[in-house]
Amino acid sequence: MIPLTKRSTRRLETTLVSYSRQSLPRPARLYSSPSKSAHAPAFATSVPQPEAPLPYLPPNLEREFSKTKEMATFLHERQSYTILPTPAPADSSDTNTMIFPDTALQNMVSIIEACVHNLYDVPRAKTVFEGLRRRHRCDPLLHGGLYNLLLDAYIEMASVKEVEKRSHWVEDACALFEVMENGKDKVTPTANTYAIMLRAWVLFNPSSHRLVASTVDMPTPIMLLRAMIDRQIPVALVVADRAIRTTKEASEAIKMLSKAAVDMNLGKVVNELGMAEALGSRAPDPLDNVPEATPVTRAKQQMQVTHAQDGSVTDFGVSETAVEVEHEVPFNLANLRKHLAQVILARRVLPEDVAARQKLLEESVYDVAVERLKHQAELFDEIGLTNKGLGNNDLRKWMWEWHQKLKVRLKAEIATLAVEESKLSDGRGIRLSPFLTLLKPEKLSLITILELMHLQGGAGASKVMKIARALLSVGRAVEIEYKAEMCKKNNITMPSNPARGGDHGYFSRLGYRDLHARRVAAAKYMEDAEEWTSDWSQIIRVKVGAFLVDLLMDVGTVVRTAVDRRTGETVSEEQPAFVHSYEYQRGHKLGVIKLNSIVAERIAKDTVRETLHPRHLPMLVKPKPWLGHDEGGYLYNKTSVMRYKESTEQQIYLRQASNLGNVELVYAALDVLSTTPWKINRDVFEVVLKVWNSGERFHKLPPAVYDQPEPQKPEDFDFDPKAKAIYITRQRAWYNDKANNHSDRCNVNYKVEIARTFLGDTFYLPHNVDFRGRAYPIPPHLNHIGDDLSRGLLKFGESKPLGERGLRWLKIHLSNLYGFDKASFNDRVAFVDQHLADIYDSAEKPLEGRRWWTTADDAWQCLAACIELRNALESGDPHAFESSLPVHQDGTCNGLQHYAALGGDDRGARQVNLDVTDKPSDVYTYVANMVEEQLVKDIEKGNPMAQLLSGKIARKVVKQTVMTTVYGVTFIGAREQIEKQLKDRLDIPVEECWLAANYLAKLVLHCIGDLFSAAKDIQNWLNTCARLIAKSIPPERLSDTLRPTPPSQKGRPAPEQTLYARMRKEQMTSVIWTTPLGLPIVQPYRQEKRKQIMTSLQSVFISDPNSPAMVNSQKQASAFPPNFVHSLDATHMMLTALECRTRNITFASVHDSYWTHAASVDDMSVIIRETFIGLHSSNVLQRLHEEFCERYKGYKVPLPSIRTMIPKLPRTANILQISDDKESRTLDEQAVEDLRLKAGGLPIEEEPEEVEEDQGEEEDEEEKPKKKKAKRGGKRVVSSELNLDDKFVNLTDLLPPVPKKGIFDVDRVKNSLYFFS
Amino acid sequence: MIQSRSRLRMNGVHISHPHSFLSGKSLGAGENKVVIEAYPGPGALSRALLRLPKSKIRKLIILESWDRFYQYLKPLEAVDPRVTVLPIDGYTWDSYSVIEEKGLLDDVMKHDWNAGIHPELHFIAQLPHGVYGEQFFSQLFRCMPTKSWLFKYGRVPMSLVLSQPMWDRGTAPYATNARCKVSVIAEATSQLQNAVRPSELQPYDDHFHPSTSRVVSKKAESKRAGQPHVAVNVVPHQDQLIRSDQLDHWDYVLRRLFVLKSTPLKNAMNSLAPGAPTLLKVLTDPELPPEERVNINDKIKNLTIKDWALIVRAFYNWPFSPEDLTFSNAEDFGPGREG
Repeated sequence: MIPLTKRSTRRLETTLVSYSRQSLPRPARLYSSPSKSAHAPAFATSVPQPEAPLPYLPPNLEREFSKTKEMATFLHERQSYTILPTPAPADSSDTNTMIFPDTALQNMVSIIEACVHNLYDVPRAKTVFEGLRRRHRCDPLLHGGLYNLLLDAYIEMASVKEVEKRSHWVEDACALFEVMENGKDKVTPTANTYAIMLRAWVLFNPSSHRLVASTVDMPTPIMLLRAMIDRQIPVALVVADRAIRTTKEASEAIKMLSKAAVDMNLGKVVNELGMAEALGSRAPDPLDNVPEATPVTRAKQQMQVTHAQDGSVTDFGVSETAVEVEHEVPFNLANLRKHLAQVILARRVLPEDVAARQKLLEESVYDVAVERLKHQAELFDEIGLTNKGLGNNDLRKWMWEWHQKLKVRLKAEIATLAVEESKLSDGRGIRLSPFLTLLKPEKLSLITILELMHLQGGAGASKVMKIARALLSVGRAVEIEYKAEMCKKNNITMPSNPARGGDHGYFSRLGYRDLHARRVAAAKYMEDAEEWTSDWSQIIRVKVGAFLVDLLMDVGTVVRTAVDRRTGETVSEEQPAFVHSYEYQRGHKLGVIKLNSIVAERIAKDTVRETLHPRHLPMLVKPKPWLGHDEGGYLYNKTSVMRYKESTEQQIYLRQASNLGNVELVYAALDVLSTTPWKINRDVFEVVLKVWNSGERFHKLPPAVYDQPEPQKPEDFDFDPKAKAIYITRQRAWYNDKANNHSDRCNVNYKVEIARTFLGDTFYLPHNVDFRGRAYPIPPHLNHIGDDLSRGLLKFGESKPLGERGLRWLKIHLSNLYGFDKASFNDRVAFVDQHLADIYDSAEKPLEGRRWWTTADDAWQCLAACIELRNALESGDPHAFESSLPVHQDGTCNGLQHYAALGGDDRGARQVNLDVTDKPSDVYTYVANMVEEQLVKDIEKGNPMAQLLSGKIARKVVKQTVMTTVYGVTFIGAREQIEKQLKDRLDIPVEECWLAANYLAKLVLHCIGDLFSAAKDIQNWLNTCARLIAKSIPPERLSDTLRPTPPSQKGRPAPEQTLYARMRKEQMTSVIWTTPLGLPIVQPYRQEKRKQIMTSLQSVFISDPNSPAMVNSQKQASAFPPNFVHSLDATHMMLTALECRTRNITFASVHDSYWTHAASVDDMSVIIRETFIGLHSSNVLQRLHEEFCERYKGYKVPLPSIRTMIPKLPRTANILQISDDKESRTLDEQAVEDLRLKAGGLPIEEEPEEVEEDQGEEEDEEEKPKKKKAKRGGKRVVSSELNLDDKFVNLTDLLPPVPKKGIFDVDRVKNSLYFFS
Repeated sequence: MIQSRSRLRMNGVHISHPHSFLSGKSLGAGENKVVIEAYPGPGALSRALLRLPKSKIRKLIILESWDRFYQYLKPLEAVDPRVTVLPIDGYTWDSYSVIEEKGLLDDVMKHDWNAGIHPELHFIAQLPHGVYGEQFFSQLFRCMPTKSWLFKYGRVPMSLVLSQPMWDRGTAPYATNARCKVSVIAEATSQLQNAVRPSELQPYDDHFHPSTSRVVSKKAESKRAGQPHVAVNVVPHQDQLIRSDQLDHWDYVLRRLFVLKSTPLKNAMNSLAPGAPTLLKVLTDPELPPEERVNINDKIKNLTIKDWALIVRAFYNWPFSPEDLTFSNAEDFGPGREG
C-alpha cells in the first residue's frame, strides 16, 4: 500500500499527464528512507549504540546496499561519447564553419538581430540577411530562430511601421515562409513560424479591413493547418505562441483554425482548439501557490499529452468528458499560456508569489539602483544645505551625478552616431548604433557605471583595470541585460526543480530517460517562449564597451581638495574619476583604466550594494533547473552551465553532448547543489558586523584604516644608497600591504553587505561547472566555497534534530575546525569535552571573553560551531536540538586517494586512509618523516645543508608540495612552496632559504615518488597518452598535410622545413575524454592567437575563441593528469550529490569536502564510500583507453614529432606508410628497434639547449670546449640515417597499455573510518 | 652558486686600455689615484692598471665576488702592494660600506663639490651585460643628485666599459627614438665622454673576454647581444639640475610619461595621474617668461632637459600629486636588492 504522503501526492499528480508510469512497480526504497527516523519520539531513549562500531556506520547499513547496484550498473555500462571532428588549421580551405562559428558571420547575425529589435532598421536587417543567405546558406549560425525573427519583423513592419508599403512586407514574409516550408535552407518551421503566419492572415485576410494587394499569395489557415499537422505541431501551442500579441488575435486565430479544421473534417483538432479556449477561460488556480497541499484537480484530468521519444510534445488529447468551461472568466491569452505550460512540462511551474521577489530582483535591478542613488543624492543635498562641503564625497552621490550627465550625453552621442553611420556605404565594418539602441540610454549609462565600479571593487591591490577586460565586461553586461529583457518580455513561467530525482532514481535506464524527457520538454518550452537571441562576438562586446566607457570617462568627474604646500591654502580641483592610460607590464604596453584615488578609497568604505548585479547574488527562489548548456540558474540572466576558457570547442562539445542527452546526470547533480537552501548565520553575522563597524583589525578581518606604521626614512637616506634601498624595499612592501588591505576590505565589504541583505531569507546558490566538471556556485562574493568568513556566515536553510550520533559529529566537526583533526574520532570528541568551558565562553562572549575561538585554524566557522554546540547542550534535550550547521567530511589528500584507487596501490592506499586503520594516517607527516630519515643519511655523508635542516621538517613544510604533486607540481613550483614555508619558520637564515629549498624540494619529490610509485606510473601513462594525442593529425587532414607546399614567391622551397612546419600546423587535436557521468572534457590549451581591434578608446588585442589554433602539446600533456583526476573527483562528488538527494539528505560540497547536517553524516558517509567504490570498480583507466581508441581512431602521428618518445613506446608499434612511395616510407620493426637504440643519444625536443661552460678551464682564454656541437651533430646523424620526416603511425597503436593494477581492493574503503573525515 | 654562474655569462667582458681613463684628454685625468674597480673579470684591465706608475695609481681596490676569478686575482696582492682584492660584489651597496669599514678609504679626503672633480678617487667598472648591468648603470646617475654612494666624497669621476646599446640609451639626445628615462637623468646629472674611439675597440674579440663569436654564432658583430663595447668616462655636473628631494618626482614623471614617448605632452599628461592635465595650464601660463614655458605640443621624446625640469617642478608643486611615487616601481630595483 502506498501511503499518501505529501511527496506521493505530487507524484500522482504528475503521472496524470505522463506516459503511463503508474503501471511500473515502485522501488520500495523510496518509502523506507530512514532519514526522518530521528523524528521518532522514542529516539532519545532507544537506539542502542554498538560498542566498537565502525563509527560512521549507521546501525542499519545493509538495507542501503541494493540502492547502489543501479549506480554500479550505470557506471559499468558503455558510455556514450560525444565525438566531433577536430578543427582544421585556420589557413586550410576547410574551415569547419559547420562546427566552429565564423566570427564575421556571427557579427552579421548579431547586427541583423539588433536592427530588427524594436524595428530599428528592418530594411537593413533584410539586406544583410539576404546577403548571408546567399553566401552562407545552411550555416548553423543561421538559426531557425533568426528566420522567425525576421518573419515576425516583416509582419510588424506591415502592420505598424510602414503601413504604406504593407504589401511589400507581407510579400517578403510569405516568400521567406515558403523558403522555410520547402526546406531549401534546411530551416524547419516551428510553432512560432505558423503563429506568425496565422497572425498575418488574421491581420491581412481578404475580409479584414487592412487589405493587401490581391497579388500577394498568403498561406491560408487551411494550408497552415495542414502543414502543422504534417509537422506534428499541436495547434494549441500555435495559438498560444508569443507571436500572437493579444487575446483578440488569439481568439481570432482559434476561430479561423477551427473553421479550417471543420472544413477539413478534423474533429480532433476542433476538440483541441476547444480545449485551448477552455484553458484560456479558466482563472489562475489560487491553490497553485500552495504546492504541497494541492489536491488532484478535476480539470487537469481532461487532457492527455503524448510525448515523443525525445520528450517533445507530439499530441494533445482531450478525454471524452465534457469540457467544463467556466464562462464567467473571459478567454485570456495569459491564462492559456500559463495553463499550457503546466500541461506541457508535466510539472508545476514556480508559484507566482515565491518567484515574485526574485523576479523583481532580477528584473528591476537598474531601476532600483537608480532609485536608490537618486534618493541618496537628494539626502546628501539636503545635508549639504546645512553643512556645505562635508559629506560630499559619497560614492552614491558621485554615481548619481555621473549617471545624470552620462545618460544625457549618451542619448545625444548615439543619435549623432546613428546619423553618421546611416551615411556609410553598405556592408563595410560593424555599425554600433543598432546595438546601442537595444537598451535605453538610462540603462546603458547605469550599466557602464556599475560595471566599472564592480570591476574595480574586485580588482584589488593592483589599482588598475586592464582595458580589454573592462571593455569586454561592459559590453557583455549590455548583452546580458538585453537578453534578460528579451527573456522577460513574454512573461514566461519558469519550470521548477523536481523535489528529487524522478521516480526511478537517477541511475536506472528508465530514470535516466525520464530525466532526459523532462528536461527536453522544459527546454523546448523555454525556447519557444523566449525570443531567440544570438551571441555577440568579442569584437562587438569590446566596441560597445569602448563607446560607453569612453563617454563615462569624459563626464565622470569628482572634486578633490588638497592643501598647496607652498601657500598653505586649501585648493579644490575637478578631476576625472576614471583615467585611461598605459602601463608597462613585463615589457608589454598595456592600456589600463585607473580610478581617481579618492574614488578608490571610497569603494572600501561606502556601501557597495548598488554595484552588485543580481547575477552576483544568491537567489531567493530555487534556481531554474539546467535545461540546456546555456539555460538554467538565474531566471532571466543567461548563464552558461560551464565556465569556458575562451574555448569555443568546449562549448560546442557541451552543446552536442547536451543535445544527445549525454549529460543529464551532470545537470541533475548541479540542480541538486543549486537547490540546497542556505541561511545567514545570524549569531556569527552579528559578531562580524560588530567587528566590521569598529573598523579595527580582528583576526582575519582587515582594519578600516591600515594600521601598520609606515617605515621611517633613515637619517642617512640621502647619502647611503644601501640604507635607501632597504628603505625603499620596505616602503614598497608597506604600500603593497596597504593596497592589499584595501582590497581585502572591499572584499569583506561585499560579503557583509550581501549577508545583511539576505539576513532574513532562505536563499540558493546556483551552480555551474568548470571545464573539468568541478562544480562552483555562480555568485562570486558570498558562497560556501569562499574563505573561512564566508563559510562561517552560512548555514543550511533547513534544520534536523541532532540525535546522539549528530551530537557526536558536531563535536568532531568543532575539533576539526579548531585544527585538532589528526587524532582518532574518540580523541577528537574528548578534546571538545575538555574544552567545553572555552567553547561556552566563545559562544557567550565571543568578543568580550577569552576569545578561544580566534586561535582556531578556521576561526569563524569554529565560532559558529561553538555557538551551535552550546545551544544544543543548553537546549535541555541536545538530541532533539534542531541543528542547521553544516558538518564537513573532507577527503584526506583526495587526489592521492583517487590515484591509489586507480592503481590499486596498497601502500599508497594506507597512507591516504583508503584502508582500514584505527587512527587516521597522515600522509604529510609520513612524508616529513621520510625526509627526516633521508636527512640523517645525508648528515652522515657530511652534507651541511642536511645539518642545517635536520629536525626542522614539519608536516607543514611538505604539506602543500605533497598535495600538489598529484596535480603535477613542477620542481620549480615545489621549490617555491618549500622556500615560502622555510621563510615562515623564521629559524633558518633568510639567505639560506633558497638553497635549502632547492635541496629539500629534490628530497621531498623523491620521497613522494617512492611512496606513490603507482601514482607516478599512472601520471606517466596519462602524460604519454596526452602527448601522443596532441601530436596527432586527424585522418581527413592527412592528404593536405602531405601535399607538397607550393614554393614560396621567393622561389625557395626548403622542402624539409615546410613539411615539418605543415605537420606542426596540422596538430590541432586536443585531449578529450568523457567522465563517467557523460560529460565531455576538452582541454583548451592552444597557441595564443590575438586579434587587434580598433575601438574608440584604443586598439585592444583580444583572442578570438572562434578561430582555433594548433594545440600547445606541452600544456596538453602536463595538464592532463591533474585535469583527469579533477574530473574524477568531480564525478565522485556528483554521484554523492545525486545519491544524497535520492535519500533526502541535504548536501553541499567544496570539491573534496562534503557537507551535510550533523544528523545525516552517518548516512552521507555510507554514500561517499559507495560512490567511490562504484566509481573505481568500473575500471576507469581501461575505459579511458577504450575511449581514446574509439575517439582517435584513424588519427596518425608523424614520427618526427615523437622522436624522443619512441624508446619509451611499446615495441609493437605498427609503422605505417600512407604515401605512394612504398619503398622509402616503410619502416619495419627492426628499424624501430634501431631507433630505440639510437634514440638514447637524441636530445629531448622540448629541453632548452644548455650551453655547457666548464668554468675550470677559464684560465685558458682562447680555448673553450664546445660540447654542444657534438650533441647537435648526433641529432643530425640519426635523422639522416633514418629519414622519419614523412612517416606516420596510427595513434591507437602507439598508446601504451594501461598500467597494471596493484593488489588493493577498493571495496575495503567501505570499512575505512577515516577515508573522508 | 647558480646565480653567479649566470651572471658571469652576462658580464664576462674585459678590456685592456687603462690610460684613456686616467690620463690625457680624460675627464677624470689625474695623478696619485685611488681606484676602485668593480667586475674585473679575469683581471686584464687590473693588470694593465698596475703597469701604470705609482705616481698615477696609488691604490687599487678590486671587487670580485665570483670565486674562480677571485682566486685568480688574489695573487696580485702579493705581487703589488698597491692592490687589495675583496671577494665582494660591486653590484651591492653593502660592498662599499665594507671598503670603508676596512679603512681602505681612510686616506681619501672629502672634496668640496664645487671645487672641481675629485682629485684622487676614481671608479672603474666593466658593466655586465643584461638587466643587472642596466640597473647598475642607471643607479650610478641617480646617486649624483643626492650625493650619495662614492659621491659623498665629491665629484668622483667614473670610467666604464659597457655595451654600445646601453651607452646609446644613456646618451640619446632629445628628439631621437632612443631617448628614454636614463638619457634624461644622465644628461641632467653628468658629463659623458667616450674614452676611446669606439672603432679602436673593434673587433670585439681582440679586446674582450670571453670571446664569444665561437660560442654563439655567425651573426654579424653589430647584431650580437651586448656588442660592441665602448669605454667611457663619466663626471658629475657641478650644478645638479635634479634637487635631491625631487629625485622621486623625476623618476615618477619620466617613467610615466615615457610610456607614451611619441605622444604630444598635452595628450600624455593623463597617464601621469588623474587630473594631471590641469598642469598644462601651469606649463603654458602666459604670465611666465617664455623660457619658463613648455611647448605642450612636443612629443615626449622631443622634450629637452629644461622642459623636463619645468614639468617636474609643476608636478612637485601640484597639491594633488600622488602620495605614493614608488609603487609598482619595478624597474628601479637597482643595486642593493640582494639575491
